[in-house]
Amino acid sequence: MRINRTRWVATGVAAATTMSLAACSSDGSAAEPTGPDEPAGPVSIEIWGWNAETGEQLVDAFNAAQDDVEAEYVLQASNVATQTNFRNAFEAGEDVPCLVQGFAPLTTMVVNGWAQDITDSVTPSESIYSEGALAAAKVNDRYYGLPSGSDGQFLIYNTATFDKAGLDVPTTWEEYVEVGKKFKKDGVDIANLAGEDPSTLMNLAQQAGAEWFAIDGDRWVVNFLDEGTLKAADIMQQLVDNDLVSNETYQDKPALYAYFDSGNMASTTTQWWSLGGYQTDMKKSGGDWAATAIPQFEDATEPVTPGRTTPAFVPVGCDDPDAVMAYVDWLASDEGIEAGRNKESGAVGFPTQIPDPSAYADDVVPPDFFVDDAEAADVIVDAQAHVIGKFELGPDYDAWFPELQDQWGKAVAGEQTFADALAAVQGFVASDLDDKGISYTLGS
Amino acid sequence: MSTTTTTSARPEAGSRGPGAAGPSPRTRRRMAWRRIQALKGASLTFPFLAGFSLFVVVPVIMALRESVFARRSSGGLGFGAQTVSFVGLDNFADGFQDPVFWGGMLRVFVYAIVVVPVTQALSLACALLLDAARRRTAARFRVVLLLPYMVPGVIAAMIWLFQYSPAVGPLSAFFRLFGVEANFYSGELVWVSIGNMALWGALGFNMLILYGALQSVPHEIFEAARLDGAGELRIAMSIKVPFVRASLVLTSLLSIIGTLQLFNEPLLFRAVTPETITKDFTPAMMIYNQAFQVGNLNYATALSVVLALVVGIASAIIYRFTNRQEA
Repeated sequence: MRINRTRWVATGVAAATTMSLAACSSDGSAAEPTGPDEPAGPVSIEIWGWNAETGEQLVDAFNAAQDDVEAEYVLQASNVATQTNFRNAFEAGEDVPCLVQGFAPLTTMVVNGWAQDITDSVTPSESIYSEGALAAAKVNDRYYGLPSGSDGQFLIYNTATFDKAGLDVPTTWEEYVEVGKKFKKDGVDIANLAGEDPSTLMNLAQQAGAEWFAIDGDRWVVNFLDEGTLKAADIMQQLVDNDLVSNETYQDKPALYAYFDSGNMASTTTQWWSLGGYQTDMKKSGGDWAATAIPQFEDATEPVTPGRTTPAFVPVGCDDPDAVMAYVDWLASDEGIEAGRNKESGAVGFPTQIPDPSAYADDVVPPDFFVDDAEAADVIVDAQAHVIGKFELGPDYDAWFPELQDQWGKAVAGEQTFADALAAVQGFVASDLDDKGISYTLGS
Repeated sequence: MSTTTTTSARPEAGSRGPGAAGPSPRTRRRMAWRRIQALKGASLTFPFLAGFSLFVVVPVIMALRESVFARRSSGGLGFGAQTVSFVGLDNFADGFQDPVFWGGMLRVFVYAIVVVPVTQALSLACALLLDAARRRTAARFRVVLLLPYMVPGVIAAMIWLFQYSPAVGPLSAFFRLFGVEANFYSGELVWVSIGNMALWGALGFNMLILYGALQSVPHEIFEAARLDGAGELRIAMSIKVPFVRASLVLTSLLSIIGTLQLFNEPLLFRAVTPETITKDFTPAMMIYNQAFQVGNLNYATALSVVLALVVGIASAIIYRFTNRQEA
């Protein structure tokens, strides 16, 4: 397999020399780059990801657009397959790719020793990216990930359901609970909280300014019970205690969509990539939905949008982070974004990593779903403009997330309070970090 | 089969060799020939042995090795390499004292006490019915009953997820016809849902083994019983069932082993009722969670060894118990 070992540094000037034939070796044992006057061939990088739709077409377009880097896309079956194959390659120390789509939170990649510090490569390109995208790529103030856009959350609501009940769309979470109580009289749920998915709580906590993990010198500060988190937990508690939400599972997609489509669910928080699915599977209510900004907390000083991401990273062992950065920068260019246009659907992926993606918002609004497509596009852009991006998940996310699922499930089922659930997760994290020999302090 | 060939050939070759004083060249040639035959016979087991070594023996050795080590960060933020240290039997000691692990074990034990006899009884009933039916009819039903066993677990799980769906599945709608609100996703019914799924998966296979055993019962006995005035039910209970007892022991053992390793079904139901099916609900789920989510492979392998021991001991006890009954 051809990999990153080709050490020919592309220098532009030298590339034009007539001795290029001599530089064609892709052998890892080839001579080290010796200086700007030496001939240079393209640097080879291998990219691993599970983007079956446009992964290869993007790489082909990139290869055609420049001569310095030769990229190869190795399509993986899924997120899990990428993780398994990467672990194997990394353990074996052979054929390690140069760019891997983020299959877990960035800190996990750093703790496992997989992601290399690429601060020197990322810094020169900072102006290309949004602040959220840059923040998400950092751990402990160093770039271990590639700038990666977080998908800003917004609210979609069924206008027919709201009109029928004669209710206004809530702009704060406190109003949201009150509107939910009014809907309940008509047997309508204000939202759905899937019992297996605590991401709603994570999003709300992030929006309320929670910081579950922070770094203080060489210790983690763990706090699942800070003011922001408890504020988010309180909203959740009111929704559950007053029986204002349904608990349809994501596993049973036909039932989920049938319920979303029924008019019995007034609203849901969402992000741009979910819209296509809604449009396809919610034919009855299609055309009745409208988008609006996600509700804020009443005492919020400025509007913020929750949104997280799992950035791609450059594995330890890759010698050419600069070449990877060239590819990633190109993806954020107009040419790169256009190259990702899906040949079947005709849509481009929403470039959430750049400061102003508004030119592409129309592309991600599906037809016949919203009452007002232009308004929906504005909402999506606005959500992106206020996205927080960074939400540190600590060094043992894979261990505590299933525990959060357990505790969240019990809280959603009314078997315990959300505050108790969070306290239990914090206890679990403490014990797990003890087992792993990682230093921490519990916040208060 | 090939193992039998090997073991029967070896003593024969050996007994003639050292026992005979000064074997003649002819005997020697025969010995060589027998040895070659024995090797040929033994060679038939090589593909199996290779697979067995590669996929069972080697992993077991690797697991045993992993289980006596522990990985830890040396303080700080946990970035960078972890240190691996030999901890002896500490992981096993932790495993034997882990209330979550043994809680899961107790759960699957109780589940097994209910599900295994039900599965055996139904498999036996199906086998007896097939045995009573005409051959052609039996062949058709045999295939149909075996179908759920042929369907891969994950696919079966998806099919059942749809069947159980309170909103779009047919089962809840069916029960509603009788005024019964049955939500198979709920915490109260989840054991029934899991048991039913597992039952259909195991039924066909057990039935096939029992049916095979029934075929080998001498038919003269049935005729004699009929002449003595025994009805079909009496024949089934007094002749057929005692004859297939050995096969029943085998299928029960396999069922118990499978049940203690319960994984697929609860993992699926975790999504729909996470408040009941926690991440450590069964021993196998806990091992999976420790290995691939918590990332403590050493502890996970120690727990695997403990689980294997428990399954082995449970099988031995049941085997001895049933054998004694037979005696």
